[in-house]
Amino acid sequence: MQLWRRRPLWLALSASWLFLIFLGGPPLLRLAVPPRLPSGVPQSWPRWLDTELLQSFSQPGEPPEDAPRSSQTPCGIGCNWGACFNTSWCRGSGLKVFVYPAAGPISETHHQILASIEGSRYHTFSPGEACLFLFLSLDTLAGEPSPMPLQWNGGQNHLVLSLHPAACSKTFQLGQAMVAEASPLVDTFRPRFDVALPLLPEAHPFQGGAPGQLQQHSPHPEETLLALAEERGGWRTADSNSSACFWDGNCEQDPGPEQTHHMVTLPKATFCLIPGRCTDALWFLQALQAGCIPVLLSPRWELPFSEVIDWTKAAIVADERLPRQVLAALHEMSPTRVLALRQQTQFLWDAYFSSVEKVIHTTLEIIQDRIFGASAHPTLMWNSPPGALLTLPTFSTSPQDFPFYHLQQGSHPMGKFSALIWVGGPGQPPLKLIQAVADSQHCGQILILWSSERPPPPKGKWPKTEVPLTVIEGPRKASDRFFPHSTINTDAILSLDAHCILSTSEVDFAFVVWQSFPERMVGFLTWNHFWDEGQGGWGYTAEKVNEFSMVLTTAAFYHRYYHTLFTHSLPQTLRTLADEAPTCVDVLMNFLVAAVIKLPPIKVPYGKPRQGARPPLASGGPGQEPQPPDPDCINLMAAGFGHMPLVSSRLRLDPVLFKDPVSALRKKYRSLEKP
Amino acid sequence: MCASVKYNIRGPALIPRMKTKHRIYYITLFSIILLGLIATGVFQFWPHSIESSNDWGVEKRSVRDMPVVQLPADSPISERGDLSCRMHTCFDVYRCGFNPKNKIKVYIYSLKKYVDDLGVPVSNTISREYNELLTAISDSDYYTDDINRACLFVPSIDVLNQNTLRIKETAQALAQLSRWDRGTNHLLFNMLPGSPPDYNTALDVPRDRALLAGGGFSTWTYRQGYDVSIPVYSPLSAEVDLPEKGPGPRRYFLLSSQMALHPEFREDLEALQAKHGDSVLVLDKCTNLSEGVLSIRKRCHKHQVFDYPQVLQEATFCVILRGARLGQAALSDVLQAGCVPIVIADSYILPFSEVLDWKRASVVVPEEKMSDMYNILQSIPQRQIEEMQRQARWFWEAYFQSIKAIALATLQIINDRIYPYAAISYEEWNDPPTVKWSSVSNPLFLPLIPPQSQGFTAIVLTYDRVESLFRVITEVSKVPSLSKLLVVWNNQNKNPPEDSLWPKIRVPLKVVRTAENKLSNRFFPYNEIETEAVLAIDDDIIMLTSDELQFGYEVWREFPDRLVGYPGRLHLWDHEMSKWKYESEWTNEVSMVLTGAAFYHKYFNYLYTYKMPGDIKNWVDAHMNCEDIAMNFLVANVTGKAVIKVTPRKKFKCPECTAIDGLSLDQTHMVERSECINKFASVFGTMPLKVVEHRADPVLYKDDFPEKLKSFPNIGSL
Repeated sequence: MQLWRRRPLWLALSASWLFLIFLGGPPLLRLAVPPRLPSGVPQSWPRWLDTELLQSFSQPGEPPEDAPRSSQTPCGIGCNWGACFNTSWCRGSGLKVFVYPAAGPISETHHQILASIEGSRYHTFSPGEACLFLFLSLDTLAGEPSPMPLQWNGGQNHLVLSLHPAACSKTFQLGQAMVAEASPLVDTFRPRFDVALPLLPEAHPFQGGAPGQLQQHSPHPEETLLALAEERGGWRTADSNSSACFWDGNCEQDPGPEQTHHMVTLPKATFCLIPGRCTDALWFLQALQAGCIPVLLSPRWELPFSEVIDWTKAAIVADERLPRQVLAALHEMSPTRVLALRQQTQFLWDAYFSSVEKVIHTTLEIIQDRIFGASAHPTLMWNSPPGALLTLPTFSTSPQDFPFYHLQQGSHPMGKFSALIWVGGPGQPPLKLIQAVADSQHCGQILILWSSERPPPPKGKWPKTEVPLTVIEGPRKASDRFFPHSTINTDAILSLDAHCILSTSEVDFAFVVWQSFPERMVGFLTWNHFWDEGQGGWGYTAEKVNEFSMVLTTAAFYHRYYHTLFTHSLPQTLRTLADEAPTCVDVLMNFLVAAVIKLPPIKVPYGKPRQGARPPLASGGPGQEPQPPDPDCINLMAAGFGHMPLVSSRLRLDPVLFKDPVSALRKKYRSLEKP
Repeated sequence: MCASVKYNIRGPALIPRMKTKHRIYYITLFSIILLGLIATGVFQFWPHSIESSNDWGVEKRSVRDMPVVQLPADSPISERGDLSCRMHTCFDVYRCGFNPKNKIKVYIYSLKKYVDDLGVPVSNTISREYNELLTAISDSDYYTDDINRACLFVPSIDVLNQNTLRIKETAQALAQLSRWDRGTNHLLFNMLPGSPPDYNTALDVPRDRALLAGGGFSTWTYRQGYDVSIPVYSPLSAEVDLPEKGPGPRRYFLLSSQMALHPEFREDLEALQAKHGDSVLVLDKCTNLSEGVLSIRKRCHKHQVFDYPQVLQEATFCVILRGARLGQAALSDVLQAGCVPIVIADSYILPFSEVLDWKRASVVVPEEKMSDMYNILQSIPQRQIEEMQRQARWFWEAYFQSIKAIALATLQIINDRIYPYAAISYEEWNDPPTVKWSSVSNPLFLPLIPPQSQGFTAIVLTYDRVESLFRVITEVSKVPSLSKLLVVWNNQNKNPPEDSLWPKIRVPLKVVRTAENKLSNRFFPYNEIETEAVLAIDDDIIMLTSDELQFGYEVWREFPDRLVGYPGRLHLWDHEMSKWKYESEWTNEVSMVLTGAAFYHKYFNYLYTYKMPGDIKNWVDAHMNCEDIAMNFLVANVTGKAVIKVTPRKKFKCPECTAIDGLSLDQTHMVERSECINKFASVFGTMPLKVVEHRADPVLYKDDFPEKLKSFPNIGSL
């Protein structure tokens, strides 16, 4: 009985002990037997038992740091932007450059550079206004510039520009002057103070420049993978199976690689290996132009314009000591990356390097960006088409205000447009046109540019429109059409001539198309340019042909940024030219937009000219057969731009159901089809 | 029932008996068990708060029991830092040759306690932050415990704060590390360099070739492309939780919150405050705080007390002035508060400036322009300010908020220098997640119209409709710009016709046999495709004229980054069903083109085959449908652009199809296609298709103009 009674007790007791052992055993065991590290598991940094007790590296009790040095510039070491450039000289509108006149006879290049800067937006003739003094050290090789200029002032706010130095000479530091020099040594280059220029070949075109050689986005399957710059001057190509011997140049025994000479062709390969010696910097530009991705092997020189250009997007800077890894990486590089790098080489070549003029303007733009500080170009604008020379930060520093970056920004152009109606000649208010435009659901406002001799009608005489109507009096010159009036508050501008005849549905459709192509001009009437063998020059026609390259701005949608670009970036000479021959202004605007986007404009359908009196005016416009202007105009423009930027298109964008055999009721833009 | 009764009867009798006879026994027993349980519990859980049980590799020790290393007074020290060092001169890249996957391997020396001849410690053993830093490296993919395979070495000697160091002895300790070799491939982390009164801007410990990750470099000490400029970590980051505040105008335009400012700077700031009134707030340390209030968490203006760092969230711009040192921990606090830092410290190298674009998150003002600062800031448009506020906060979240973030960013920078071809891009470093998500970088971004001479490759997918296939081949071969014809023979059970039976055409004709009857075979990037332009065409599309095809190619040349096709389709949102619907009626809009006849860039074949998101590719092959919709999604998603539909609508039915009951087939077909759209939209996580209202026609299409003078007269005729 006693035993029977105690059984649950014993059971409970043993269960408890079992439980205890079960819980407590393993930790006890772990204490007794030091843990054996399973092989393969790395031994990591210990978790200290007393982590909580560790002190912070900066103790609150530390003496406060309130004893700064009074002078921040260690003298004699060198210069940086904050210490050696006095930005307070640059008041007002950005960079003003004074160029020292040359002493003595100068070379042709020197002369051209002078002329180019004088024609640019940066130039001033008065040293008092200038905030940057440019000293061209072109004809003297690296060394002391011969005569010390007058306003030298220890070199403060000076830029010594030297285009063709002996490659990689030791940078000559001239007091507080900045040095812009080709391929400077990384060791002496002062980042964000000096400017690294590309090493240009002797015969680099001054203006316009040769276009990039890339014909297609992706490499041709038969294209060789690698080309190597040779000391003797040329490119050696190798097939994709080449080993590292190719790298070292010790391939004499290797019969494979064929010799190509640069004088005949630029390298036709996907990657161009360029050794790091300073003399090899010349190959860099060649590769860039050819669309061959530069692979720089431990370069000793600073890459051109490295302050603003993100070279990782267009070139590969590799370590020459790891040939096997680099070759393997090139072999295995994804098509996506190759595609991106190739295209970037072409964009950069075209935007900053293809002419001496671009190189100089880029240099000045970099310095202007330093002065602008927060209002400078964002990095995106430097590194994606059309590039910083064609995107003015004075217009905006927000990429979404420009027509070029909506994709990258995930943004859209505004859903309204401003109609800009030019009234000249006898000065009849275009009542029908105003009504047609105002009826468009996308119209945000109407601006009348009144350029007639007669005064505009009083306010009450204008038609009542739902959208605001503003009359701007006074513009007389043809180029005033494209003045960036501050009243224009929409992304899109519908530029119109008073003699235009347009229907609301034409306006609506054209605007919807423009929203898909905000960087292009979308117009109704077109001209086409062609090369006239007989005349030995460019010609153009307003006749109906199968292609076109210009749209008339007497009826066209385009982004308001082009007004800013037209007024503030075009050389004065070209605008004067346009003023003298008013139809030339259309050509100029088309040249400008094509030079920026390198794509043709877009044509949308335009109904037959409707009945109604059309005054036979010279200025042309929808509603009458446009008169081709003076053929000289196009040749003068081509000379002014240094090349022919126009691109032809063979298509027209119509509404989806345009003239399809389907009930008109189904069609959104049925009135476009009226005979 | 009976049992319970029995128990009830017995129960009362049992308890009193137990009370008397076994009470002590029971109490003792229970106490023992209870004690045992408590002891076990304590044993089980207490030490494990430090060590997680599955980390067998982790040692459990105290930092106090470190092996002691005595440094003889005459033990060697390194040269001072070599200012001319660059990666290709001072860094031994051969050590990184072993590292797979383009990832450097980092070794951490074990912790030792260094004492001098007299047994006096050289420095504090290790700070909390340096321990965190080494832990972060050790937990990362970079870490290796094999000193022979390492490419980068991190000493466990803590030099974060120079004030706590004995310079010479620390240098001796570094120099005796087993792989030191003049500091080659060694990485030192330092946040507070210099010492009074001069405060050098880089660590004064002689370190020869060692890389320095330093907080507070100036242009004079920073070795561009070799050293790494890092933030000065602010311990407040971990202590204070400041929720992100949306961008927009804030109470103060300009705020200065630093306590230890040079009197001259303070004068300048106060002058600004006097001039601009309430929009400028200059704070100082509080002089009359009550006991127990942490002075670093309070700031004062006259008698007004503000909480720090919370007050930073009230300001749009926050001044970061250099103190004795250039690098200021306040920069981190300011970024955390989403306040745009105004950095006034000439020659200061901003943290991670090698990769971070500080223009997007800060304003750098030269010291001499300090009095002009207000005007400079006022000229910045509001939208840009808001971008900067967002960017500032993002920089803090990604690169400042923890020691781990700082350590990993530093290693990533060094890694990218060694493996530049695998480096991460500017956008990856700088774009905040919202921008990364919404932005599109078109893979064919260069405006380039390929030359017409290149021509296109037609790819015909076929199973066994040989007769129809031959007709298609004959028709397509009439197109002037055709340069090659590729037939993808998708029938494994039947051989393609003999060579002699194929139509004789003027361009090369290749037949590719596939291993499996899959729809995705049509989009495979075959080596045979030499041209960039590809025309995908079904083996029953015989109604397209040569003019129409040639014109389609011309249109593709003007839009090489788009799908250019003939029959257009539309997706619509069905409000009743709350899902997408496929539409093939006569609509005024298009968002897709059928790939039964479409031109596109061959790169999209690569994307379709190797980069299609999710399981779409297999799904399409399994369902034998919707490969064209998938292609439309893919192209629209990477380019952000709409398709181009060319030429007027035609009847696109194959002659055979009319035989079957058209209606019911059509309906199931539509339902399936709608399902595809919904499936793909969910995989892509968005609806990438773009709707447009235009199509492309030849310039003179349907114009009143002699047909024979038109380039493409034969358009739209059936």
